[in-house]
Order: sequence, then structure tokens, then C-alpha cells
Amino acid sequence: MLAQHREAASLKEEKMTDMKKGPVSGSKPVAHVTIADRRQFLIGSAGLLGAAALGIGTGLGVRRARAQSRAEISFASAAFFGKETFGDLIKVFNESQDRVLVKNIELPPPSSSTEVYQGLVQQLARRTGTPDVFSQDVIWIAGFAAAGWALPLDEYFPADKRSAYFTGTLNACTYGGKLTALPWFMDSGMFYYRKDVLEKHGGKVPDNWADMATIAAAAQKAGDVDFGYLWQGKQAEVLVCDAVEIITSNNGAILAPDGKSSQINQKAAVEAIQFLHDTIAKTKISPQDVLSWDEEPSRQPFTSGKAMFMRNWSYVYPIAQDAKASQVVDKVGVAPLPSFPGGKSAACLGGYQLGVNANSKQREAAIELLTWLSSTETQHRIALNFGLAPTRPALFQDEQIKKEQPFMASLEKVFTGATARPITPEYAKVTLALQSGISKALVSGNVQAEMDALSDQINKIVG
Amino acid sequence: MSAAATVPGIGRPRLPGPVWAWLLLTPAFVSLASVSFYPIVNGLYLSLTNTSLITQENEFSGFANYVQLWGDAQFWNAWWHTMWFTAASTILETVIGLGMALILCEAFKGRGLVRAAMLVPWAMPTVVTSKMFGWLFDGQNGIINYILLHAGLIDQNINWYGSPDTAMTTIIIADVWKTTPFMALLLLTGLQTVPNSLIEAARMDGAKGWITFWHIRLPLLMPTLLIAGLFRALDAFRVFDLVYVLTGGGPADSTETLSTLSYKVLFSTLQFGYGSAVSTAMFVTEGIIALVFVLYLMRQIRRAQ
Repeated sequence: MLAQHREAASLKEEKMTDMKKGPVSGSKPVAHVTIADRRQFLIGSAGLLGAAALGIGTGLGVRRARAQSRAEISFASAAFFGKETFGDLIKVFNESQDRVLVKNIELPPPSSSTEVYQGLVQQLARRTGTPDVFSQDVIWIAGFAAAGWALPLDEYFPADKRSAYFTGTLNACTYGGKLTALPWFMDSGMFYYRKDVLEKHGGKVPDNWADMATIAAAAQKAGDVDFGYLWQGKQAEVLVCDAVEIITSNNGAILAPDGKSSQINQKAAVEAIQFLHDTIAKTKISPQDVLSWDEEPSRQPFTSGKAMFMRNWSYVYPIAQDAKASQVVDKVGVAPLPSFPGGKSAACLGGYQLGVNANSKQREAAIELLTWLSSTETQHRIALNFGLAPTRPALFQDEQIKKEQPFMASLEKVFTGATARPITPEYAKVTLALQSGISKALVSGNVQAEMDALSDQINKIVG
Repeated sequence: MSAAATVPGIGRPRLPGPVWAWLLLTPAFVSLASVSFYPIVNGLYLSLTNTSLITQENEFSGFANYVQLWGDAQFWNAWWHTMWFTAASTILETVIGLGMALILCEAFKGRGLVRAAMLVPWAMPTVVTSKMFGWLFDGQNGIINYILLHAGLIDQNINWYGSPDTAMTTIIIADVWKTTPFMALLLLTGLQTVPNSLIEAARMDGAKGWITFWHIRLPLLMPTLLIAGLFRALDAFRVFDLVYVLTGGGPADSTETLSTLSYKVLFSTLQFGYGSAVSTAMFVTEGIIALVFVLYLMRQIRRAQ
């Protein structure tokens, strides 16, 4: 869970200045109301009671008429912001048509994902139909679907409409054969490399792990960098992301396709985790510190020019290109992560996707908002104004996005390999077990034994 | 009411005394019951159910949670870590705090300033302390590694938070730094209640400093020492912020404590039933710790009498 919001948190910092220019939502409308009320009160006491009453009367009349003709629904989401906020986005929707009126419920920012999760669960569990539409971290989708809180969307989005999205994202939005979420915006793990150092060591971006380790070791030995390869081994959500990527790139998986049993102690997964352990203990291309690093601690040595390769999220690129924070401006390239022989590059999928409350009393209106939010136009706007990457591959060819967000436009290839974390309604329990078990394997090096123990534990949870 | 109570004879309330007393106690009783008693009882009840926000179950399940807890390796792992943390930090803080208190009890120039300055670590928010120690013990750029390396005590940087051998010790060091001043303050007040006449009398009899401390100050300080230790132990048992900020329970669960575990169970997986059982187990363990301290304290007091 912590995985994506780091990126969001840093985006936030970066966009702070933009934010100030943007419209301030929240407190202002309330202030307007109070002032208006007070004025009406003063007018009334001055003896213009009739006029004031007329004014109030007509005001209410208009409001009621509008409310009657427009379906009122609510939208809840973690609070992202860039040049604008989701509140602004909802306002745009409200002004764009006169059938649906949406109230925006702002949840905490994505950096407090546990709180966002609690907030959503509490509202959905009441089954009152509020919020009608919500956004959700990819890892919550299965849980919400299994609890019966998310409306299956198959009838509204048949196969031909779905083909416009990335396959990996669609998979993450599907539970029990049903589409229960609609892709919105995404991120994924990716492979950062130093162009200048790579030039000295063959110039070819490694596409398999063994080559990566060889080049990294050579660069380290030649004294070009302190560290060959940086990744995130802290006992936290990001460790699960790193593990999903490397295991999938060896044709392995954490859970069986039906989500009911563990495959983490099978050969492919054990080899993959062994490789991560070896980067510290054997090939020594990673410092022992990665065992306590999440995203930011691993990013810092990379952007200060001390490392050759790194696995991280998309937020690193703007920092690497910022001369104030980085010593590697224009020296950094991004590629899909390497894979094992016979495997395919995999990138752990992150981001927020949309859902409709199964108890919504305004289903048609909810679908209309959902469709608008995920439309090409809105995703385009979100890419430009929030810096969040679209889930529609076609948008990566868009000229304006290419111009204003050149880095984002280059990510299509990376996102094509986006792989969901284990899809199970018990994800919250599974991830805690994975974090603990994989951390134990990495620390002790008894990979097979720890994976066997972990597998038993996961089977108990999902079986 | 107050008028009736202060002006006897005039409009004296008809209600009998005890009823008045109870009536006046009601506000305090209601507020305590609602914010303290009710949550505890409700927590106990939840621990006997299979309540989970995700599965939507909410049924009485008897002692099923406790049976599961008994066989839960993660729970026992966290339990031992918490006990170790509590014992180590309480003992270190008491011993060092006593030393500090003895020094601060002596008269010297600038004592007021030193006493105030001493409290700074304790006044700092724990999250700030955590971040600070995160940097001090950073594996790559930390000052601790720098000093040890240049003093020749280690031959390569140690990743303090990344190794199960050092992570918990480092967290204990951070806690000792932060909370020793609190112990020193409590013990200092205790030392000041020891009558000077006793110490002067001992000195006249030719007792040296050490003897005075061992036979006069320490026995008289014992009740304070035990109460301060009790406070500290109960507080240390709930350690959360340091672990949450510095390691998140890792690596390999080596710093998982009961508070972080129950937080994960309660708020990440939303298993309110099982999570409440973990919390109740904490409550029971704390109760036992308190009981041991109190029994020892009573024995001390009785012996003194």
C-alpha cells in the first residue's frame, strides 16, 4: 500500500507551488453561505422582510427544481492534487452536463493509505449507497468485490470497450471473472539505469537479471559507482512489489491463478528470491542497507550518482532531472525491468482505479460519472494536470502529453508488463505474511525453508 | 445546589446526604465510564467475537481468538520482543536516571540550567526522536558509523536497522536517550525527600559517600524507584512510534512489538475481533507486570514499617 503514495507524496511536494495558484476548495463555499445568511438576516431586520423572504423563496425554489431534475450522487477518493484537485475535476463534470450533480467526499491523501482504506471500508460497510462512486488502490479491489460492495461492471463495459485499457490493469480490476473496477490511472515498478556508466560497460541495457548483475559488478569493481543495483528490501508493502516483479519475471507466481493456494515455495519463486538475497550476499552488487530501505532511501544514492541500476516508481524521474536535487541530470534512462531466461519482464502495478457502490440508489448516474472519469478526455486532463499516468495505451501517443509529460509518454512499454499483486480478498493478511516471510528469507538466506513456512501460512489464509 | 449547601437552614435540600454525594459524583462517573470503562469492556467483548469489517462477520465466537493467539508464532515473537524491550529499556533508564538524579541533587553552579536542559529529549515528540536516530544510525551516512569507523572499532559500515542483530538494540538506545530524563526527574524528586539530617548524621559518624548512598538514600528512595520503574515499564510496554517510524517491525520481524502487531491486525487487516484479543493479551500482560511491582512495593513498605 505504501508503495504508490511515496510517489504521490513527492509529487505533492513538487506541485505545492502550483497548488497555491489553483482554486482553493473546501472552506470557501461555506464562508459564502454564512455571509449570505447574515446579509439576509440584516436585510430582514431592516424591515425588508418581504423582499428577503421572496429572495429566499426563489433561491430555494431554484435549488429544489435543479435538485429534482438532477440525480445527486457522491464521489469519494484519496486526495491527489497537482495543478488542480479532484474537487475541481468533479466541478468540471457538474458543469459539463445537467443530469447528474456530484458531491465530492475528500478522503486523506494517498500517503495515509491505511486511513483512506478505513474510511472507505466504514462507509461501504454501512451499505447506505454512499459514496456512489469511489476510487480504490489496486490491492483493495478483490476485497471490496468479495464483500459485495463493488458493483460488477461487465454489462456497462463490454469487451470492446475494455480493449482500450492495459491488460495488466484490467486483470487487477477483475475478481471472480467479473470486472468490478474500471481502470483510472496507474504507476508501476521500472528499471532505472545510468546512461553514462552503461556506455563504459557495453552500452546495452540488460534485459536479463544475470547480465544486469555482471554489468553492475563490473561497474562497481571499476570504481564507477559505489553500488551496482538498488532495490527495496524493507519489511513493508514495497518489498511485496519488488518480489512480485522478480518472481513473475521467472514465470513464477505468489498465488495460483484461482487465488486459493500459494506457489511461493515453488522453484521459480525460490530462485527469484534467492537472486535478491545473492545481490547482497554473493554478487554483492547491493549494499546490505537495502534490507532496511524503502523507496526514498534507495532513491537518494541513485540521484546523487552513487549507483548504476535501480528499481523504483515513476516519481524518481522528475527528481533525477531536477538539477537542485540530482547529480545525474540527463544521465538517467528508464527501461522495463530485466527477466530470467524464458521469463518476461514484469512491473508491479500501482495506482487508483474506480468502483461503483453496489448499494448505490442512483446506478445510472454513477455509471455516467464513472464513464466520464475514465474517459480518454478526462484521463488526458489528469495526465496533464495531476501528472498521473493514463490506463489507456492510446493516450501515450498523444502529442500534447508527449510534449508536456515526455517521460510519462515513454512509459508505455514499461506499463505493458504491469502485473497485479496477488488478487485475493484476503490481500491485507497475505501481504503482512509476505512482508514478514520474504524479509526472513532475505536476512537469513534460508530461502527454501522460509518460503515453505511462508507458503503454509498463506495457504492457511487463502485456502 | 451550592447555595443550598453553603447556607444551612434556608431551603435545605430534602435529599439525604449520600444521595447528594452520589449525584455530585455522577458527572465524573459518567465521563470516566464512557471514555475509559466502556471502551475496555467493549474491547474485551470484541475479543470474544469474530468481528471483521472485511468479511462482515460479527458473531460471538467464545475463546476461539485466544486459542488462535496461543498458537500464533507471530504473537509470541512480538510478545518476547516487547518484554525484552521493556526490561532492557526500564533497567537502563532507571540506572542511568538514578546517576543523573544523584548528580543533579548536588549543589553546583548552573544547576537550574542543567536541570532544564536535561528535559529537552523527553519534551521532544517521539516521531522527531525517531527520525533523528534514523539519521544518526543510518547505514551509509550515519554519524555513529563514521565515528566507530574512524575510531577503528568497526572495519565496515554497519546497517543498524537492516540487521536483526542490531535493529532492536538501536531502538532501545533511542528510547533510553529519550526517556532517561523522565526517570531522572522522578528520582530527583524522590531524592529531595530524603532528610538532609540523616545524611549529615551519617557523615558525622564517618560514613563515606558510597555507604551513605547504599544504606540511607537508596532504601529511602526505594518506593519512588519502584513507582517510577512501574510507570516506565508500563509505558515502555506500549512502544509504538519508534518501531513504526524506524523499522515497521522488520527486518524479519525482529522489531515487531505487540503495539505494532495489534495495529497491523486491527487497522490494516480490519480484524477487530482478533486484534482486540491481541490488545487484551497486552492488557493482561501489563496487569501482571503492574501486580509484580505493586507486590514488591508493598513488601518494601511493610518491611520499612
